[in-house]
Parts: sequence; structure tokens; C-alpha cells
Amino acid sequence: MGETVKTIAKERVDEITKQTSEPAWLKDSRLKAFESYLKIPTPCNRDENWRRTEVDALDLSTLNVVVNDSKEKKAAKEPAVITAALANLGKNLPYIYTTPQSVEIGNADSELLSKGVIFCSLKTALAQHADLLSKYLAPENLPCPDFAQNDKFYLMNQSLFNSGAFLYVPKNVVLESPVLNVLSSGEETSIAIFPRVIIIVEQGAKAEFVNLCTADKHKTTGESQALSLVNSSIETYVGANASLSYLDVSDFSANTFAVSRVYNEVKKDGSLHASTIALGGWQIKSDIQTNLKEPGAKSDIRGVVLGAGNERYSFNTIQDHIAPDTSSTINFRVALKDSSSSAYLGTIRVSKEGQRTDSYQSNKNLLLGSNAHADSIPKLEILADDVKCAHGATVGPADKEQIFYLMSRGLSSLEAEELIVTGFFRQVVQSCPVDGAGDWINSLVADKIHS
Amino acid sequence: MAAREPLLKIEDLWVSVEGKDILKGVNLTINPGEVHAIMGRNGSGKSTLSYTLMGHPRYHINRGSIIFKGEEIGELPPDERAKKGLSLAFQYPVAIPGVSVSNFLRASVKAVRGKEIPVKEFRQELKAQMALLEVKDEFLSRYINDGFSGGEKKRLEILQMTLLKPALAVLDETDSGLDIDALKVVSTGINTLATEETAVLLITHYQRILNYVKPDFVHVFQSGQIVKTGGSELSEELEERGYDWVTQELTPSGVA
Repeated sequence: MGETVKTIAKERVDEITKQTSEPAWLKDSRLKAFESYLKIPTPCNRDENWRRTEVDALDLSTLNVVVNDSKEKKAAKEPAVITAALANLGKNLPYIYTTPQSVEIGNADSELLSKGVIFCSLKTALAQHADLLSKYLAPENLPCPDFAQNDKFYLMNQSLFNSGAFLYVPKNVVLESPVLNVLSSGEETSIAIFPRVIIIVEQGAKAEFVNLCTADKHKTTGESQALSLVNSSIETYVGANASLSYLDVSDFSANTFAVSRVYNEVKKDGSLHASTIALGGWQIKSDIQTNLKEPGAKSDIRGVVLGAGNERYSFNTIQDHIAPDTSSTINFRVALKDSSSSAYLGTIRVSKEGQRTDSYQSNKNLLLGSNAHADSIPKLEILADDVKCAHGATVGPADKEQIFYLMSRGLSSLEAEELIVTGFFRQVVQSCPVDGAGDWINSLVADKIHS
Repeated sequence: MAAREPLLKIEDLWVSVEGKDILKGVNLTINPGEVHAIMGRNGSGKSTLSYTLMGHPRYHINRGSIIFKGEEIGELPPDERAKKGLSLAFQYPVAIPGVSVSNFLRASVKAVRGKEIPVKEFRQELKAQMALLEVKDEFLSRYINDGFSGGEKKRLEILQMTLLKPALAVLDETDSGLDIDALKVVSTGINTLATEETAVLLITHYQRILNYVKPDFVHVFQSGQIVKTGGSELSEELEERGYDWVTQELTPSGVA
């Protein structure tokens, strides 16, 4: 980074729109979002949706906005982080690898991407498929999830996003294996990154998408207390009779404030599976809203959170049953070591029209550290009268009898704890529809427990 | 000297749980390869003895000693006792959802034997023991004791003992809740286990299992103590006459 701090300012928006061949409507949209951004105060923990986040600790004026001006290139060599992921997910899968300085694409010429499938960086997509994207990104077509209402961080992403990925799967095209999008926030501190991912699975199509956010952790420990921001937006659109399996894995550095906003939309008889795996960061603030817009739409949302040190996690899920005959399940599992903490707020919303909704929500918290803390808050907003909604939550330490049982078989208390935690998560990840994801997640979880 | 050293020597063992004395001066010596049965009523403290031997943190030793292989183990954590060759088949094995039986068995055998066992070798060994205990293959991919029937839980306990090959296997009411067929299968497992290398301490409420597993010694447990010791004929006497006569013999006035 140069000596001048490229703070969050209108100049950055101008810079982004200038250096890319973005359509005019997007430029307007960015500027409008930035105007609103300036008007809205930074959230504080008095705001309902930010109550569980220590947002005051982040000084926005110290952040250097990363304006990634590099062109998408074919990867010369597969990055190690990709190789590690592909060891479980399957070799030669198409991937995009983004760092603050570069965007590389690999295995994209594989057969998977014939049949009109588009998988590229969002920047490339905006240059080449602007019309297609306008249906989802033009201001009049933007969805309006709860987290988008007067939210400074949402507007920040809307005006400044300049990296990320785009997947488009046309009608009736079936992708049998996943595509991979990896963002590495690199070694630098005091940076702000704004990724955006758009996934469109058209009618009758099928896709699997793996999103991985990671950091070079070696350089960010020790002296450096300067915080970085990764503020991302993910939007998925699942068409009628379509199916999307989405896996989001994040493992940020200990100085990263990560804000992640996910909006999912499912149409008639479509089905969405989305697993979120959160393995690290200074604070993680994540909102996941799923709108079941047409009859027969189904969603299956799962979460795995493994906290350590002083990490703070705040997850907010909303299942919005807009149409009749829709169903959703949520299964969030949180294990907290040391002094880490988590707040899970799960809302099931059923509109007046949402008759015969079938919804289930479960949140289990395993407190491993003596100073770990977890809150679980279910919220039901039901306006229809013929619905099936169930929810359950537990918070408690690891079962002492389980630990004794395992230790009586020769396992140390640490080994016993590790086995219990992986077992606790396995119930959620094992049946993850993305091939190989279960084993991959188990190994990432094991790595974090050992660290 | 070494050859004559007892495997386990419990002397004047006093144990309390949450401040309440349960064991009140237990004395017991087990030599390598011997089969001992401890019989007694429910609530007499039999299970407390088994948990204390394995090192459950809830049980506090207030007095006495447990010498295993010549070393006091009263302060050792359970995993170190296991590594020294002590093992406990639980009366109520705990379910651990999400942890598959096969993963667990490998981890446990590796920990106790102190080295990685080649997958193929381990498989072969496992299959042989499973056949003996009439355990189906699908058992391995299930989660530990999760949704297991009473009989399945006990078979898994014995399966672990046969893999871990401890110097002393403590079997806590392994016979309880088993129908006659399961009891026979489990007994076969115990008899395979009981060799010169493995001594067995069988804790039971009923004489029934002793029709299949012949103990060298039978001890009667009462009010936190071993009050009578005999050969295998003692168990038959207990079956016929109940426990009351032991009580009366000990307290001639008939006041327990």
C-alpha cells in the first residue's frame, strides 16, 4: 500500500467505476448507495441487529479500500490453498482465486463449463454479461432483505464491491461437481475488501458452489493489532425445479472484522442447500436470509461455528415463507473454546399466504472453554394459521460422561474433546450434498482444534 | 519377585461421592489371568468400585490404595490407567452422536497400544472379533451407542475389551438387560478375553452369567465392603439362598 490511505470515500467509488467497463446503471447504483451510506450513522450495539457485535472497535477511517484493478488471468500454477481444498472436493474443478492484487481462474476450460454455463470473476461478468446481471443488480431489481434496510455495511458493499464471482447455470443444465471461489485477504492489515458473489441457477438446473474466504495467518499475529474489514455480499437465485448446494467456508485472520450478508431466493419446487462453516476471525457478523417465494420451495440451511480465543460470532438467519407449501430447516451448531462467544438469532417468518409452511430450526451450542458464552434466540413471526413450525436450542458444556468414556479407552482429555466436537459437527456436515465436503470440513475443524 | 507380584492390590479403600461414603474399606487382590466375580445387591457399591478403578472424577478416594502393576494409580487420569492395561466395560455405555464406532475403535486401539496399526491389519483383527460377538458390519458406521439396543451396547463393550486386550478387564454388570441368546454370545466373548494375559473382574447382580463364565473367586459385596470370599460354588449358594444369609452370618443378631 502507498502512503496515502485510500479511505472509504466517493473517490473510491469513482475509481472503481472508471477502471472497469461497468454499465451506466451500475455506476448510478453505486453512487446512490454511497450517498445513502454517508447519511446513515455507523451502527452501534444499541441497534437491534448489531447488539452482539463490538462494531465500535472498528475505525472505518483507518481502512485502506482495496481496489483490485487486475484483469482476470489464467492461473499459471494452482495455489496451495486451492490444491488443499480440491484434495477433498475433487481434482480439476474450476476455480477463481482472488487476492487483493490478483484474480486468477483455473480449470475453467473443463467440460463442466460448456452448455452455456458462465463462471468468472464478477468484474468479467459485468463487462461481458451486463444485461444478464442487470436483472439481479439493477437498482429496481435488487432484493430487499431485512439486513439491507438502512444498513451502513450493506450500502458500503453495494457502492464499493469490486471483486467476487459470478456463476450462471442455464435452464436444465446440470453441473455434477462444484465450482470453487476462493478469496484470500492476504497478509496486509488495515485493509477493506468488498467481495460480491452472484449465483443464478435457472429453471430445472443444478449446481454446487463452494466459497472459501481465507487469510495468510502467519503475518497477522503478534504485534499487529490493526483491524481489517471483509464486507461481503452473496446473492443466490434458485429457479423453479432447480437445485443449488452452496458451501461457504471462512477462516479469517485474528484481526479481521468480517461482515457477510447472504440473500437466497427460491422459486417453485426449487431447493437450496446452504452450509456455512465459520472457523475464525476477530468478529464475524453474518446475516442469512432465505426467501421461499413460490409454492414447493425448500431450503436447508446449516451452520458450523468453531470459536477460539476471543473470537465473537453473531449469526442471524431469517427464513421467510412467502408462498404457501414451502418448507425450511435450519441446523446451526456452535462449539466455543477459550473465551469465544456466539449469538445466534433465528427467525422463522410466515406470511399470511404461507399456509402449510413446514419449518424446523435447531441451534446447539457446546461450551468448551470455561469463559465461552453462547446465546440462542429463536423468533417466530407467523401470520398464517395452518403451519408446522418447530424450534429448539441447547447451550451447555461437553458431557463429562462422554469425556470419561473416551478417556477410559485411552484418549487424552484433548483427544476426547476433539472427537466429541467433530462428532457434534459431523451430524450437520456429513450429509452435506457437496461431494467430499464432509471430510474436508472435518479436517479443517481438526486443524483449528489443534491450533 | 515380578512373577509373583499381584496385578491389582486394593487395600482399605474408602471412596465417597458428593461427600457420601460409598466404599468403606475394600480389600481385593487379583493375580494375572484370574477371573474374579463380585456379587452384591443393587446399591451395595459395586459400580462405585468399578468407576473408582477407572478414575471417574466424581469419585473421591479418602483412604487406602489401588496398586496396579506395582504402581499406585489412584491419582492417574483414566487415559493413563487405560494405557497401563486397565479397562472398564460400562454398565451404561454412553452414546456419542457423530462419532462412528470404527473411528473410535481405531483411535482407542492406537492410544492404548501407543502406535498406529496398519488399516488392513486392524480390519482383519476387528472382523474376527466381530464375528465372534455376532456383530454386523453396519455396526462400524453407526455412531457410538447412539440408538443401540441394550444387547448391542454390551456387545460393543466386549468388542472393545477384546481389541484393547487389557491386563485387567472390569466388567460392570455386562450381563444386565441381556436375553439368554445375547448372554451366551457375550459370555463367549468374555471367555475369549479371559486368558493368561487378561484377568477379569466381573461385577454382577445375578448368578446367571456365572453359568457361562467360571470365576476362580467369588466375592460378596455389601455396604461398601467385600464381606465374604469363596470359590465358584459360592455364587450358586447365593443364587439359592439369596444375600440375606450372608448378612446374618456376619451379624448374628440379624441387625445389618
